[in-house]
Amino acid sequence: MVLTNSSYKNPKNMKNIPKNIRKIIALARKESRDILQNKIYILVVFVQIFIIMGAVGLVVVAAVASDPALMDQSGITSALTIGLPEDLKESSLVEYLEEERITLKYYKTTEDAKPFLGDELVAIIDLSDTGKVVVQIDNSNVFYPVTSTKINNAVNNYNTEKTLKKAGFNESQVKVIQNPVNFRIVKINQDKEAPLILDNAYFVELIYGFIIPFILLLPFFLASNIVTDSVVGEKERKTFEVLLMTPMSSYMVIIGKSLPILVFSLIQSLVWMGFLNLLKVPIYNPVLLGLVLFFMGLGFIGLGIFISMLVDSTKEANSAITLLLVFATFILFVPLFVKSDIFQGVFNFIPTVLMVKLASSPTIKPEMMLYVIPTLIISLIIFLVTVRSFKHERAIRL
Amino acid sequence: MDLNMNFLTITRWEFENTLKSKKFLFIFLMQLSILFLLIVFFNSFAANMESEEGISLTPSLVDFTTLDIEDRGGLFKKYVNPEIINIISSNGNNSLSRTEKGETGGWFKVSPDSIKRIQNGEVVDIVLYLDYSDPRRSVIRDEVNNTITTMSAVLTKEYLKSADNQNTSNTTGVTEEKTGESLPIQLIRKVMLSVLLFLPLFLFGNIIIDSVVGEKERKTGEILVAMPISTGEILLGKGLAVVAISALQVAMWIIVLIGAGFTIQNVIQVYLMVVFTAIPIVGLTSIIAAYSNNYKEAGIGISAAYIIVVGFLIVPALTYISRNSYSSNISPMTVVMRLFAGESVALPEMLMAVIFILLMSVVTFKIATYLFERDDILFGPRPGPIKLILQIFHIKKR
Repeated sequence: MVLTNSSYKNPKNMKNIPKNIRKIIALARKESRDILQNKIYILVVFVQIFIIMGAVGLVVVAAVASDPALMDQSGITSALTIGLPEDLKESSLVEYLEEERITLKYYKTTEDAKPFLGDELVAIIDLSDTGKVVVQIDNSNVFYPVTSTKINNAVNNYNTEKTLKKAGFNESQVKVIQNPVNFRIVKINQDKEAPLILDNAYFVELIYGFIIPFILLLPFFLASNIVTDSVVGEKERKTFEVLLMTPMSSYMVIIGKSLPILVFSLIQSLVWMGFLNLLKVPIYNPVLLGLVLFFMGLGFIGLGIFISMLVDSTKEANSAITLLLVFATFILFVPLFVKSDIFQGVFNFIPTVLMVKLASSPTIKPEMMLYVIPTLIISLIIFLVTVRSFKHERAIRL
Repeated sequence: MDLNMNFLTITRWEFENTLKSKKFLFIFLMQLSILFLLIVFFNSFAANMESEEGISLTPSLVDFTTLDIEDRGGLFKKYVNPEIINIISSNGNNSLSRTEKGETGGWFKVSPDSIKRIQNGEVVDIVLYLDYSDPRRSVIRDEVNNTITTMSAVLTKEYLKSADNQNTSNTTGVTEEKTGESLPIQLIRKVMLSVLLFLPLFLFGNIIIDSVVGEKERKTGEILVAMPISTGEILLGKGLAVVAISALQVAMWIIVLIGAGFTIQNVIQVYLMVVFTAIPIVGLTSIIAAYSNNYKEAGIGISAAYIIVVGFLIVPALTYISRNSYSSNISPMTVVMRLFAGESVALPEMLMAVIFILLMSVVTFKIATYLFERDDILFGPRPGPIKLILQIFHIKKR
């Protein structure tokens, strides 16, 4: 790409800015225009909105399916159908099961119900000869955890009632046995209540523990091709020589080329934070998150440019960048799902783990700043090493 | 499209040229190293899941939130999960103010005479002061609720035991007979293995981009179009070369997976189905490559398109696991998952996936050929995506 003199010499308001900065801004402007004129990139920006909505929606559905109280609220009781033999119809067990809002279906015997287990029935309940409740349950059913919890609650109540009838306790003793703990919740800071689309533990763990880091890093992952193209593309089109003949040093070229995509990706991540807030998924510490993302972006871009210097064609660059993204995904996301006593100290410094803590904490602890430092230093080193090695003509193979 | 066998010559050229590239072979082997990493990760993840009961697919989230616990008796505290919640022992002095300031997520206060009250058969008072300005409140509430439910059940059982030793042993609890494999284990064993089998199909998109967009960028497209070979044959020839390379990588991945101890039944059918799926994916990549002006656009385009394709493959497979839905077999991933698990797949179910792949292959290659044949797309000025879609459906004239 040829950089014209007018693009960086003309504007009156740039008179006071040092000449080198003006040159970088001129190159960055040209690169920005290229990015904004790229229809597919713009399309991909909008596609991300649907990815975010889909991801949040999927987690909401998964949370509802795993929470008995939310299942009751949603009224999807037909999915929780269990089979019983007809002779249990008059049993108090049935009353307790109905209290748990489970749909009951009666068969002559449990043998008649068995063919339907795993299909229309999640479980079959019967009483053994000794009076013990026996449950055959489809472990592979998506509603297994909810059904199992509800059945256990009903059976516990049934067993307790049965024993109490035999033992002849007084009323106060019965109350203590049935509810040995008096538990209440006092809401603190209710006036500043964090708005949540779903106030559910599973939802909160999954959305903050995986979806938010994924969404905030998505713009940087999708921009990787722009990074490699800005170097390899120019080499292939033989326009890089012209660019390097302009009165700009190598580091000015690399900064001018990488700054726009870094800024665009960062802006997208910040917009997605706002969008998540609108979806009632509050994101805290946006400034610190932005800082972490900025430096991670620098690291990504540094690696992208480094790869671009080592390869000869876009084909090779794209193959290598795909590999790099897979490795990056592995390093960034695996620690979110792995419990390890040995590596936990290291995991605390992984940027995605930091992002989880920053995004979900209204109040940040001072030691968190220490955890951020390695990410900033490593990213900066990667970028600076890239800039330094970029100066060698052998690397750009002119 | 009048086809003869000329396209096979192009396929042979492209295939041989790709395999001759040392850098490509290096990348090819690096992809295998990714497979090794993924195998190690999945195996440790699966082992971790199988070792713990009732585990779900949530992130590990060590020290996700904090909770002050005041429990002088120490009965309740030991039931709170110390991994996700950082437990801080408290004497109650400043826990309320810490909760109000957001320094801790809450204050779990058990009455100081809890042991004495239990011994006297009295109700134990427990209060949870919960910071509602913190979005992680549900995680604490859920954990405390679980702790109280567990402890209440233990106390109820003990009270009943002391009251009626003879009967309680027979009437408490539930005998649960589980059928089928649990959902999280299925997700790891089946879905993750399916993902590994299909992953190679998404690693070679850049070859298509290079062989189609590269012709545009190198201005060799004109020569290719002028040759005595139809556009359809050119694209088919180039596409089949990529399918052949994908087939080679899929074969190597299957060998490695079997070597690593994964059980893959119906291996030939599994292999053929995965390779067959590569055809429409290559067709879709060809559409993006034919429309794109340069590598940058094409790279961004396939990143977004592949996310959608992965979604199409995985969502029906997940639906099948949760609901055994018949229509889920439209995704080849569902069929492959069932095949390697040793399930019998009925012919109509198999045909559903095969016909869909066939249909998508024809449609995608037809569209790619249509785009590549158009002078305005090949040489510019190119119509916008919406205008182009309207033209394809003859809603708007060219």
